[in-house]
Amino acid sequence: MSIKFDGVLLEIIENTFMSIAEEMGAVLVKSAYSTNIKERKDCSCAIFDAEGNTIAQAEHIPMHLGSLLGMVRDIRKNYAPEDIHEGDMFIANDPYNGGGTHLPDIAIASPVFWENEVVAYVINIAHHNDVGGRVPGSNAADSETIYEEGIRIPPVKIFRKGQLDDDILRLILLNCRINEIRRGDLHAQFACNRKGIQRVQEACKKFGKTTLTAYMKELLNYSERKIRQAISQIPNGTFEFTDYLDSDGRGSAPVPIHVKLEIRDTEIFLDFTKNCPQVKGALNLTETALLACIYYSLKCIVEPSLPSNGGYYRAIKYKVEPGTLVACKDPAAVAGRTDTAQRVVDVIFGAMAQVVPKRVVAGCNSAITSIVFGGENPKTNKFYIYLETVAGGSGARFNKDGLDAVQVHMTNTSNLPIESLESEYPLMVEQYKMITDSGGAGKYRGGLGIRKDIRILDHQCIFSVKADRQKLPPWGLEGGKTGAAGKIVINPDSADPIILDSKKSNTLLAPGTILSCQTPGSGGYGDARERSRELIVLDLEQGMISRSSAIEDYGLTEAELSAIKIFSE
Amino acid sequence: MYRIGIDVGGTFTDVTLLNADTGKYYTYKLSSTPHDQSVAIMNGTKEILELYNISARDVNYFGHGTTVATNIIIERKGAKTALLTTRGFRDILEIGRQTRPSLYNLFEEKPETLVKRSLRRELNERVRSDGSVAKAIEPKEIIAALEKIKQEGVESLAVCFLFSFLNSENEKAVEDCIKQVWPEVYYSLSSAILPEFREFERLSTTVINSYLGPKMKIYIDNMQERVKEVGVTVEPYITQSNGGVMSISSTVETPVQTALSGPSAGVVGAIYVAESAGFKNIITYDMGGTSTDVSLVNNGTAEYTTKRKVCGLPSGVPMIDVHAVGAGGGSIARVDSAGALKVGPESAGSVPGPACYGLGGDNPVVTDANLVLGRINPKHFLGGRMQIKAKYAEKAIREKVAGKLGMSVEEAAQGIIRVVNSNMSRAIRVITVERGYNPSDFTLVAYGGAGPLHAVHLAQDMGIKTVLIPSAPGVLCAFGLLTADIKKSYVKTWLSKYDEAGPELLNSIFKPLIKQGNAWLASENVPEANRKFNNIVEMRYIGQNYELQVSVRSGAISQSDFEELKTKFFKEHEKNYGYFNPTAPVQFVNFRTEAIGIVAKPNLATIEKMTDNIKKALIETREVYFAETGTIDCPVYDRYKIGQIDRVQGPCIIEQMDSTTVIPPNTHFKVDCYGNIIVTV
Repeated sequence: MSIKFDGVLLEIIENTFMSIAEEMGAVLVKSAYSTNIKERKDCSCAIFDAEGNTIAQAEHIPMHLGSLLGMVRDIRKNYAPEDIHEGDMFIANDPYNGGGTHLPDIAIASPVFWENEVVAYVINIAHHNDVGGRVPGSNAADSETIYEEGIRIPPVKIFRKGQLDDDILRLILLNCRINEIRRGDLHAQFACNRKGIQRVQEACKKFGKTTLTAYMKELLNYSERKIRQAISQIPNGTFEFTDYLDSDGRGSAPVPIHVKLEIRDTEIFLDFTKNCPQVKGALNLTETALLACIYYSLKCIVEPSLPSNGGYYRAIKYKVEPGTLVACKDPAAVAGRTDTAQRVVDVIFGAMAQVVPKRVVAGCNSAITSIVFGGENPKTNKFYIYLETVAGGSGARFNKDGLDAVQVHMTNTSNLPIESLESEYPLMVEQYKMITDSGGAGKYRGGLGIRKDIRILDHQCIFSVKADRQKLPPWGLEGGKTGAAGKIVINPDSADPIILDSKKSNTLLAPGTILSCQTPGSGGYGDARERSRELIVLDLEQGMISRSSAIEDYGLTEAELSAIKIFSE
Repeated sequence: MYRIGIDVGGTFTDVTLLNADTGKYYTYKLSSTPHDQSVAIMNGTKEILELYNISARDVNYFGHGTTVATNIIIERKGAKTALLTTRGFRDILEIGRQTRPSLYNLFEEKPETLVKRSLRRELNERVRSDGSVAKAIEPKEIIAALEKIKQEGVESLAVCFLFSFLNSENEKAVEDCIKQVWPEVYYSLSSAILPEFREFERLSTTVINSYLGPKMKIYIDNMQERVKEVGVTVEPYITQSNGGVMSISSTVETPVQTALSGPSAGVVGAIYVAESAGFKNIITYDMGGTSTDVSLVNNGTAEYTTKRKVCGLPSGVPMIDVHAVGAGGGSIARVDSAGALKVGPESAGSVPGPACYGLGGDNPVVTDANLVLGRINPKHFLGGRMQIKAKYAEKAIREKVAGKLGMSVEEAAQGIIRVVNSNMSRAIRVITVERGYNPSDFTLVAYGGAGPLHAVHLAQDMGIKTVLIPSAPGVLCAFGLLTADIKKSYVKTWLSKYDEAGPELLNSIFKPLIKQGNAWLASENVPEANRKFNNIVEMRYIGQNYELQVSVRSGAISQSDFEELKTKFFKEHEKNYGYFNPTAPVQFVNFRTEAIGIVAKPNLATIEKMTDNIKKALIETREVYFAETGTIDCPVYDRYKIGQIDRVQGPCIIEQMDSTTVIPPNTHFKVDCYGNIIVTV
């Protein structure tokens, strides 16, 4: 049967799927237990077609797309169609067998049946605070194999024909620290999928299965047409870019990441083959995670209004060498992959900047600065884990300054309110502020990084950090200067501050210690000497730049400075 | 005696005048005066009183809905404001929740803060998470800071310290110093404006309040003067975002409460009209020129939220949970580069406006589609005040939509309607299915100029079975002002485990809240017999960070009331999230008291039964396009000539000055004794 597609129904059906994905997200965020999912919204929901193409994704965290992409593929690899039944739900987190990108992200997928046939999958993914392994939070950057990182779950059925398999649930929970919260979060994930299934079935009833499935395909075509149209507006050419990670997670020299990118008519080719073998530390990126970075970057640069379905992936071709940093093989450790992911985005932006400089931003803080505090809470005598990722600067643009103190690229998680943090954990925040001069100078200034100082109260705390951009600062564009690098400092204002490595796990902090997390700023855009006088004065008045930066970077004289009311504490 | 309600919108100022003795009411529309809203208020009051020959002295109630506060924030024209906060935390206002405004759009900006960084002063003070004072504040330091700020030409102060919701000592110390050295300055303390936990939201709310205060005071004083000039002797009441009204002096103290009050009066009006007609579970649907506002009313009570944002800035005061979407009569339709039809959120505004205005707008909008389909009468647009031409609408739709989609002009126009309806459906889904409600359990109450045009089709899409169109849908907001109660909410955050608490704790928290409420209602001159208190506790499982609201008896709470709370919480959890866990520990977070002064409600006038056939109200028969039937000859009725009637079969169009109602084929309606159209979908 052939269907004549119309642009009206296309829009209505796209609306319907987005609505379903968003409703799933609302159910998940609201019913989860852990602050990581509820407050920080470290979760995503999506609908896939029966073949595993993304149809709609409720967008919280771009990185999650990676796990979503592999999940249906790996279910289909492990289960014959006749073994998949209505009411089944699959659980998985393994990067090498379950589509995951690191172990804390647990995905739950459910086939949606209509008229005895799978018409779609609904999937949600949530970052769990802990899935076992050698450090609290399961997120160490310095593990050597994935076996150190926590429980590995290939796609298995956690529900069989509507019945929860309690054996599997108990097995998983026993492997996690603080498992009652894990249980609550997993139940929220189940509830989320049940809602998704119900809504997709309602859509089948409303539009008819044939029409709905045909339009699912057409939605993919639509998004492919849209990106091809947009790519055709960009001049052809080949562009290369290399950027660096601080280390391999085990103390090595900086690790390069490279892309050769070619625009050819209506397609973009990315060659990632010139990258190093997978590294010893936990910075390795699985192929699906690499894809999530590619799709994110090109959507931002080429056409931000692309629908969040997989049709546009068809205009993007890529090449990788299995067993390398950006397409690792079992048993490479991957928990620290997020910084690598951010750097992949940076190299794509760096390459695209050479052809469409007005559509990109300068180098961003591009680290996912995660700090994890764990220990026994002296008030409750229970073990606690507090995980936070601290935002930083976003790169300057051709016509505007960069955004200060925001999450960039592959993440967009919220902070935990200080009053929530201090009520729940034996910690006290001493200061939380933007760092003067951390934005790279330029005609347009880079956004500022954040400093968050936390005091350990009345207990010994185990602290782990996983961050990057602490050796090589974020780059500027078109003559803009680099932004400040980040750093993690113990007792910063004391006589002997200690600077920690950006990937150091399990540091013991004594009661009363202050841990200072200082995130990178971002690069500037254009020559600082062309910055408008008005903006320089404003930055001085508001404390975004210091007196010395005004002189050295922007060329103001002492005489000029004396007329300006410079910010003071 | 008479009651007046005046609602000031961006384009029009609507006036309703109600005869409290007969229940009959009159409406009047005039152009707004954006440079000074009080001019239109004065003229509107004068003109409607003259028109019906009523003396201003016979007006015993004057209610006013204003967008002044919202506009001050949109245009960033508030007072020069300084913030006093805990040492080390001035940037909380700017960092917010550290998220970027758009995931993929690299060029979007964060909302600009209302206090610039150099005016955010840090003081040495600290309260711990258990409410104990870690560092007491030094009056000397406060006074020095105040002196410095004063020299900067600051007009207003916001004070917000960490954990002040648990212990306000240090904020109070600042207040004492302000009174001492700078008594004339406007100020707000976070512990008074929103004594609730989560520092960014409390801070943002306090800052909005201080930013609005001085300008609101000027506006309100001015407005009151003008109303007096007309001879109205009563003190005006101002609509709040919670659907209630407050005296002008209370409004000047907490203007943040009015910051999103625009749509709330309409919700109150819709509740009142629907309840009179016998409907307690409704979805309010207000479709105007640029946006649509929807809200959910459960058992006669609007849903409230503390999570709304004013132009991107969080405001934690309880407000009616109105969800807005950029879909209105002026929403622009276009076919994108890959062949999908998009409608809105861009709007043609009033200049150049829809293509049919002939003012040079060549983009087709929703109004153009309605015109092309014959649903709007070109001769009676806005009561004949505006000349519109179908040929311009047709041309725009043909060139910009129909041609590109390979459709006829009618099909394309119908497509525009379907897409805008689907955008509005999505908004309704947010307030219903995403919160655990089934839309088919609700009646859709449609108002605003464009609501009745789309309502029945929208209801069909959503599985809603009944639609109610009030008798004056275009001025429901102004009508709502006449029925609003006097209302203010009080909150106390007190994190406590359910198992360690008891009725004594709850009573000890609610007693002072009710006392505060009582004192406020007394200051608003509400007699004791008309005072009512709604008590609410917000509970969650320990470890969760979202609370659910559970209502509590407003009198003394007994052991059995206390036990019931847990059961109610489980029920609420199941309704919202699909499950509950009977063994997991539960905690209390916030305690809220809503103090209400009940305002006497008008009895609505009834209309006569129609003894003749509906034909008596027939204006003409016009070609109208419906998806189900194609173009047909469709009867068009004059709403003012339709009496109470039992059953009229669609399709038909019903016209009145302020709106047009579309009754599609295969639906029918009746008109009740108050003149409401009630459609069975």
